[in-house]
Formats: sequence, C-alpha cells, structure tokens
Amino acid sequence: MLIGTVPFGFVAGVAAITAGMTPLQGIALSVLSFSGIAQLIASQLIAVDSPVIVTVAAAFVVSLRFLMYSAALSPHIAHLPRKWRTLLSYVMTDQSFAAAIRHFSAPGERRHRHWHFLGAALTLYVTWQAAVAFGVLAGASVPSAWSLDFAVVLCFIALLVPAVKSRADLAAAIVAAVVALVAAGLPYRLSLVVASIAGIAAGMAIEMKREASK
Amino acid sequence: MTVWIAIVGVSLVTFLLRASFVVFADPHRFPHRFRQALVFVPPAVMAAIAIPGLLLLHGHLDLTLANPRWIAGALAMAVGIWLRKPVAIIVSGMCALWFLQWLLG
Repeated sequence: MLIGTVPFGFVAGVAAITAGMTPLQGIALSVLSFSGIAQLIASQLIAVDSPVIVTVAAAFVVSLRFLMYSAALSPHIAHLPRKWRTLLSYVMTDQSFAAAIRHFSAPGERRHRHWHFLGAALTLYVTWQAAVAFGVLAGASVPSAWSLDFAVVLCFIALLVPAVKSRADLAAAIVAAVVALVAAGLPYRLSLVVASIAGIAAGMAIEMKREASK
Repeated sequence: MTVWIAIVGVSLVTFLLRASFVVFADPHRFPHRFRQALVFVPPAVMAAIAIPGLLLLHGHLDLTLANPRWIAGALAMAVGIWLRKPVAIIVSGMCALWFLQWLLG
C-alpha cells in the first residue's frame, strides 16, 4: 500500500499549498491529523473560504469510518495501558487498520502484536509525512498534465473495492454514489454528507430486510 | 488565524473518532443497530468520494471520451476486483489515464 501512499501524500501536500495555506500550515495539518482524506477535504474547503464549522463538520463525516475501525480494534487492544491505546489510535489509518485486523485475528502468540501494529503504522506515518512535505515544497509547480490528483481518486477506489463484501455493502455504495452525483451542486461539499447518510441508510434497509426474511 | 483553528479542529475530530472506542468507550454498550450502521460507513463514504471523482468533469456528469477518467477508473475497479490488490488499482488506473490522455490529446 506504500505505493499508493506516496502519490496520495504528495497530492495532499500540493492541495494544501494551492488552497492558500502556508507550508507550515500544510505540514501541521498533516502531522496533527494524519488522514489523507481529512487533509484533502479540509484543503478544498479552506480554499473556498468556508466557515471553520463547515470544514470541521466535513472532516467529521469523512472520518466517521474511524468509529467503525475503533470499535473493531478495541477488543484486540483493550488489555493495553491507556498510553498505548492513545498512541495506536493516533497512528491508525485505513491501511494499518486493515493490516492490523488480519494480524490480530490470526492464531498464535498474542503478546507482542501491538508492536507489530505500531511498526507498520509508524512506517506509514513517516512515509506519509515525507510525501506530504515533498508536495508542500513542490506546491503549484507540479505539471497538471501528470493528473496526480487522479491517484487520489484511485486511492479511494482502492479502499472502496475491498469494503464491498455483501449485497448490503453494494447497496450502500451505489446509493451513496448516485446521491453524491445528484447532489453535486450543493455548496461546501454537502453532497458528501447527504450521500454518506443515504448510503448508510440503504445498507441498513437491506440488512434489516434480510434479517426479517430469515 | 481561521486556518489554524480549522487545522486544530480537523485534527481533533480525526483523533477523537479514532480514539472513540479504543480509548474512551466500550462498543458493546452501544445499541446493536448503531454498530450495524457503522459497517456501512466505509462503502458509503468511499463511493460518495470516488464515484463523482470519476464521472464528474467541471461539476457535470460526463460519460464521453472527453473525460478519460471514468474509463480509467472503471478499468482500475475491474482490475481491483479481479486481483484483490490495492496497488494494482492505483498502477493500472494511472497507466490507463496517461495512455488515454496521450491517445486523445
């Protein structure tokens, strides 16, 4: 997944600068939030001078998936001290979560697994911050013919494909995509919020129907 | 200054959501329906971001050859479903886009 991380981080760095942030702000956003999606959404909204509350709300919606990751991960690391759990939450990403769940669910010796998670997450952290820093330095001088922003869309597709495991997941994805297209004209990227909620509702509807028919 | 407030706000939100159940709460204390809904967050949010990125050009639906992104994206998705490798999606999608841009440009 590091292959996707480098262009994604680079684009996130470029996006911060083209949104009008200073290099220090671009790097601070990345170091503190460590979330490519949140960084990109925040950059897009800061670029159009959105009110702070709108920017934070959009970051909240795109980061809701962390709630699910957090719930799935918590039984595996509940035995660790709070300091460890805080550190692991801070460095958790889509990629490290996916790897960690596979790793924690595997049979065998359990005692040192959190070290493995931390190692993988920190590798990703360092790679990500370096890529963002390069993007911040390159700023707006990247030729648009490279279409590097498309690498970001592909990163989302790379997260979408494995997330669709059932018919209900597929319904959630299709409804969210259609609503996002229809609502694309809404200001402040509200389409994202509306589409996400519609998709989750569609997934729930299919799931409840399936339960009822059992 | 507003930018700094936004940066801190965004960072707090991402951290608190990550830490939610790992540090602060037990997921089993929450209703079953809530945990069930969480499962649909990744497919819904990812589709809501990715699909408009493929199909919209300058804010309008464009399924013509003038927008090579949806073709490259569809190909990358097919490769991803086939090979089950995230890297394959990114590599095949970028190569397809560059090739289409060269072909059409």
